Amino acid sequence: MSRNRLRRTSSRWLATAFALGIAAMPCRGVGAADSPRGTVQETADAVVAVLADKSLSTPQRRQKVEDIVYAHFDFETLSRLVLARNWKDLSPTQQQEFVSEFKQHLSMTYGKNVETYNNEKAVVTGDREEARGDWTVKTKIVRPGAEDILVDYRLRKEGNDWRMIDVIIEGVSLVANFRSQFQDIITKDGAARLITLLREKNAKGESLKAPGTGT
Amino acid sequence: MTSVRMRTLLFVIVFVCLVAAGGGAPAVAAEPENHDPIEPFNRAMFWFNEQVDGYVLEPAAKGWRWIMPNRVQRSVSNFFQNLRFPIVTVNDLLQAKLRKSATDVGRFAVNTTVGVLGFFDPASDWGLDQNNEDFGQTLGFWGLPPGPYLVLPFFGPSDPRDAVGLAVDSFSTVYPFFVAIEYTIGARAVDVVNGRAQVIDQIRDIKEASVDYYTAVRNAYRQRRKVLVNDGAEMSEQEQEDLYNVEPNGGEK
Repeated sequence: MSRNRLRRTSSRWLATAFALGIAAMPCRGVGAADSPRGTVQETADAVVAVLADKSLSTPQRRQKVEDIVYAHFDFETLSRLVLARNWKDLSPTQQQEFVSEFKQHLSMTYGKNVETYNNEKAVVTGDREEARGDWTVKTKIVRPGAEDILVDYRLRKEGNDWRMIDVIIEGVSLVANFRSQFQDIITKDGAARLITLLREKNAKGESLKAPGTGT
Repeated sequence: MTSVRMRTLLFVIVFVCLVAAGGGAPAVAAEPENHDPIEPFNRAMFWFNEQVDGYVLEPAAKGWRWIMPNRVQRSVSNFFQNLRFPIVTVNDLLQAKLRKSATDVGRFAVNTTVGVLGFFDPASDWGLDQNNEDFGQTLGFWGLPPGPYLVLPFFGPSDPRDAVGLAVDSFSTVYPFFVAIEYTIGARAVDVVNGRAQVIDQIRDIKEASVDYYTAVRNAYRQRRKVLVNDGAEMSEQEQEDLYNVEPNGGEK
């Protein structure tokens, strides 16, 4: 049953990708990763390839996934969006600390999913231009024997690269969700407390490596 | 049985009106996602639900997942999903979504017959995709704002609009009408435990990923319901500006 659906979806996607490839060819002589859609597809493919590679150990897989994700996410913009108006109340040092702790927090909590990979596939289903030149790329995670999960990525162009600045899972924006949590903490206890809280949480869980600073 | 449900419905409506009145803000067009004037009450309810979940539901769900093969769990999900057919279809119609209602009638017909009483879901393979509609969404579709955030005992995150929706929808489920109450309760328990078993990992992840679990759930609920009400429509320019401008200044909020 699910295999049928998967086959149907992937063939539909292949047709779309093919049409898109043809359409894109004459007007832009650029690689796939130069478009928001291409960036997401490339990232998803790379991650799935690592996850499906049985020859790698779990820490190796996690490391590789982390490298791919780090290369395509803009954690500084993500941090600024999440802190919204509170961002400029932080000292430059605090800003750096926050970016690095938040990055590590995300990497730890979502990196754990590497261990529970169960042949899920990511399929790009559409894209559209948004305000301020951003793009949204719509994907779905096709899971064998379970319902699909809709995941949208919002991307922003930096230099020649498209980088992800938000993930929207079944309509729930990560930026909006963390913003609401952090807003409460900052209002009650201040930004310094938030950074400490993140640091404590990060110290408890096991992480792979010290996070880099900035993006 | 009907009178019990009637009384429950009345209770819910009165309770919800009280909350809506207590929360003030009548008929605000766009509710902020964190509108939570009765937060202390909600946090208490949330804590209570967490206890119920932690001591009863989650252990039961883990046991269920351990005993039942994935295929069985999937079939049980399909079965109860199929029974939601009247809720979904009625609310498709109440929102004048005729095509969707046709799809849902078709799904029910296919899955009840070819899908052996709904245990299998051939309809999805034939392109008849499941719609997600309920009376809370219908009220939202016709412009009723959700009102303040409200955590219901046992049912969890909600708002006055969705609480009324929940009560109204309970009238249009299939099984209560022709099955004795004991079986209804039993079936409901299986539905709930099986449903919880499908999200054991996700819930654990969300707990770990959040710095303030209560706020994370509240925000996710409000965002999710909004998207369901407007069927995944794109964000307005203003919403995008609020969410994605790295230099927020004066203008918004």
